[in-house]
Amino acid sequence: MDDNILSLMLFGSLILGSLGVIGFVWGLRSGQFDDEKKFTHGLLFDDEEELRDAAKKEAMQKNTKDENSESEHSKQSH
Amino acid sequence: MSKIACSHCHLEFEKNEMIVDKEDGRELFFCCKGCHGIYHLLKDEGLDSFYGKMGSNTLEPPKHLLDDSARFDFEGFHKRYVTQRTDGLKEISLIIEGIHCAACVWLNEKILTRAEGVIEANINFTNNKARIVWDENKIKLSQIIDKIRAIGYDAMPYDSRVQEEGANRLRRTNYTKMIVGVFATMNIMWIAVALYAGYFTGIEEGHKDILHSAEFLLASVTLFYSGSIFYKGAYTAAKHGFVTMDTLVATGSTLTYAYSIYASLTHAGEAYFDSVTMIVTFVLVGKYLESLSKKQAIDTLDTLSSIIPTEVAVVNGETTEFKQIEGIGVGEVVEMRAGDVAALDGEVISGEANFDESTLSGEMEPVLKKVGDKITSGSRNIDGVLRYTVSKDFKHSSFSEIVRLLSESLEKKPKIESVANNLSRYFSVTILSLALLTFLSWVFIGEISFEKALVISVSVIIIACPCALALATPIASVIGLYAAAKKGAIFKSSSFLETIAKAQILVVDKTGTLTEGKPKVTDVTEFGTYDKAVLASLVSSSRHPVSEAIFAYLGVKAADIEEAKEIRSAGIEALYNGKKIVGGNIEFLITNGVNIEFESDKTVFAYAENSELKAIFELDDRLKDGALKTVTDIKKAGIRVVMLTGDNEKTAARVASTLGIDEYKSKMTPQEKLFFIESAQQAGEIVIMAGDGINDSLALARADIGIAMASGAEINLQTSDIVLLKNSLAELRDAIFIGRKTYQTIKQNIGISIVYNAITIPLAAAGFVIPLVAAISMSFSSILVVLNSTKIKNGN
Repeated sequence: MDDNILSLMLFGSLILGSLGVIGFVWGLRSGQFDDEKKFTHGLLFDDEEELRDAAKKEAMQKNTKDENSESEHSKQSH
Repeated sequence: MSKIACSHCHLEFEKNEMIVDKEDGRELFFCCKGCHGIYHLLKDEGLDSFYGKMGSNTLEPPKHLLDDSARFDFEGFHKRYVTQRTDGLKEISLIIEGIHCAACVWLNEKILTRAEGVIEANINFTNNKARIVWDENKIKLSQIIDKIRAIGYDAMPYDSRVQEEGANRLRRTNYTKMIVGVFATMNIMWIAVALYAGYFTGIEEGHKDILHSAEFLLASVTLFYSGSIFYKGAYTAAKHGFVTMDTLVATGSTLTYAYSIYASLTHAGEAYFDSVTMIVTFVLVGKYLESLSKKQAIDTLDTLSSIIPTEVAVVNGETTEFKQIEGIGVGEVVEMRAGDVAALDGEVISGEANFDESTLSGEMEPVLKKVGDKITSGSRNIDGVLRYTVSKDFKHSSFSEIVRLLSESLEKKPKIESVANNLSRYFSVTILSLALLTFLSWVFIGEISFEKALVISVSVIIIACPCALALATPIASVIGLYAAAKKGAIFKSSSFLETIAKAQILVVDKTGTLTEGKPKVTDVTEFGTYDKAVLASLVSSSRHPVSEAIFAYLGVKAADIEEAKEIRSAGIEALYNGKKIVGGNIEFLITNGVNIEFESDKTVFAYAENSELKAIFELDDRLKDGALKTVTDIKKAGIRVVMLTGDNEKTAARVASTLGIDEYKSKMTPQEKLFFIESAQQAGEIVIMAGDGINDSLALARADIGIAMASGAEINLQTSDIVLLKNSLAELRDAIFIGRKTYQTIKQNIGISIVYNAITIPLAAAGFVIPLVAAISMSFSSILVVLNSTKIKNGN
């Protein structure tokens, strides 16, 4: 077997494998596995409406943050 | 009659008892007004898809909640539970009660996120805990709570600030380290297979280099990322002048790693990167298993304090106003209503009420408080309105005293060193010196090359690898914990298995632990026919435990009676169809002109209609099932059993003699129980304490092993070391016996790894073992230990 092919296969598969591990660790750290029951049952209720709600919520959270930082800015300028 | 399911909660009821409603030509049935209201609320909000999501699950019908949500806006409440975030928002952790299915979580999150001003609402389905972030300018916390209540759930605050966060983060990091280690080990094993095959059949030098460099990468990640905790541990130990298991793992793996780099670069010999990752990963898995079952450090004082209100009504001239308890001084007058918990000590100046003093005595029997009687903080007013003058401020109240003692008890709790920890210290020192000795003697006496001597001493370290020893305790403990959990006894930390196995005394509380804790009807004598429904409605008008026990015993629906009046601690009287009906103790019936002659050493409840005696009920706090067998078995196992109770001498003596307990003490206060445990410990004994009430919490916290009943006080679930889920005594026995069996297995496991080392180390030191064989035999000893541990599962 050619040395290049061997290293390509070996390191290629190691990189693919570590991508999987990194993905899993990311999920773990961002708390996606914290609630195993919601993880399995909750996804039954995932539909378009939930997505819209989530988007609305995100926009609102951003708004509140902006509002608060604005009020802080205005405090500083006074 | 047919049963039909309620359209909201899906529980089944008799058709003719239900509320009927029509909708789109369809008939809907509801079990109560609560369910009816929620159904329409959800319909109006457009959330009725909830019922589709809920499927065939059932809900609890909504409770009628007495307290209003205003307390959620009190300043004292916010100080204790609410976090003020830097971005101006507020955050609280709640436990949502009544969640049964994923649809409940969906509904609650929906209703909360729809509310204007709620920024984030996240409910954990597994433990029903919710985290809510809101904008105080747009919505008040009480309004948020009202929304949860409106759809039939309830919320309780809990303090999450100190608990969980830190422990969770640490566990997550360790888990990540283990996962990375396992990943590297699994991959390195495949590469090692190629290398081992090459070792026997010949391999091109170029291929070997590629395989080695891949192994090097994986081993480096494992050693320096996953294995960093061993370096940290070894460093801390070295700073204090100790040698621990961490030292051995760190030196062993680093030496092997360094040698492997040298060997693969110079092609001087075989590289053992696979042994490096295996040592690190095996020991990490052992550590992780141990941390899985480790008790979390929590702020217990807060949980105990949460039964005390943050604000109480202080009388101010004609009116009352709510004041924070910390600011109330001696001499001020406090008003208490039914259901309130006294926050301060004092003396009654007007009114009367029955008090539940189980916090202090453990007894459920209410105590009547009249003018001049003392109120103790922590006791609960069951049924009346009264006013009392404060005699001590909050800091010096008897409840604060218990909280203070509890924190002291927790600090003083003795820590019993586990066998493995004790042993691993000597083990590590021995192995490291043996390896050094081997190296030196080969170089100077054996006069072989430096390189060969290094290979031999590395093989000593690899073969003596603490894998088997590191796994000996965790594997046995985890299997022991699992076996105990299956029986209903939850150990908070694996180390308690070992401690419980060494215990010599079992101290038990009586009420709620050996007995059911609530009076139950044991005998009934009837003197004539009477309508049970009338009696049921008579007793249902009272909240006294005796009345509740009789109501539960009759198990019938109440009829309509008029003018029901309760005479505290005596009985109840009422009118039914013009007849005067009375029920209560014998003296009460005699004063009502009923002729009774009856003797009993139990609690008696007599019932008469128009002065004619109808029935006599005898009640008793019954022993739990299997109490006698448990006590006998535990005594047979050589453990001394002592009963401590807050109850009177007569009852205590009766229970003790029935169960064959020779030692007992009655009328014990929480402090006296604590003192008893302390003196036993000073005599050098290891004490198990089993109890359920707040009055036991000091003793539970101080004992070497505290065992709490799941139905008992919340505080005990947190400070205790073992929780019995089914509150049964059989679990108590199982916990002790599984502990003993696990301890025995741990000792065997340690024996196996020592015998293994005693055989292999001399061989390795003599140079008969190449590191490759050492690596394989190391795994073999670990497998032996695992197999030996599985036998805890089988049999009792």
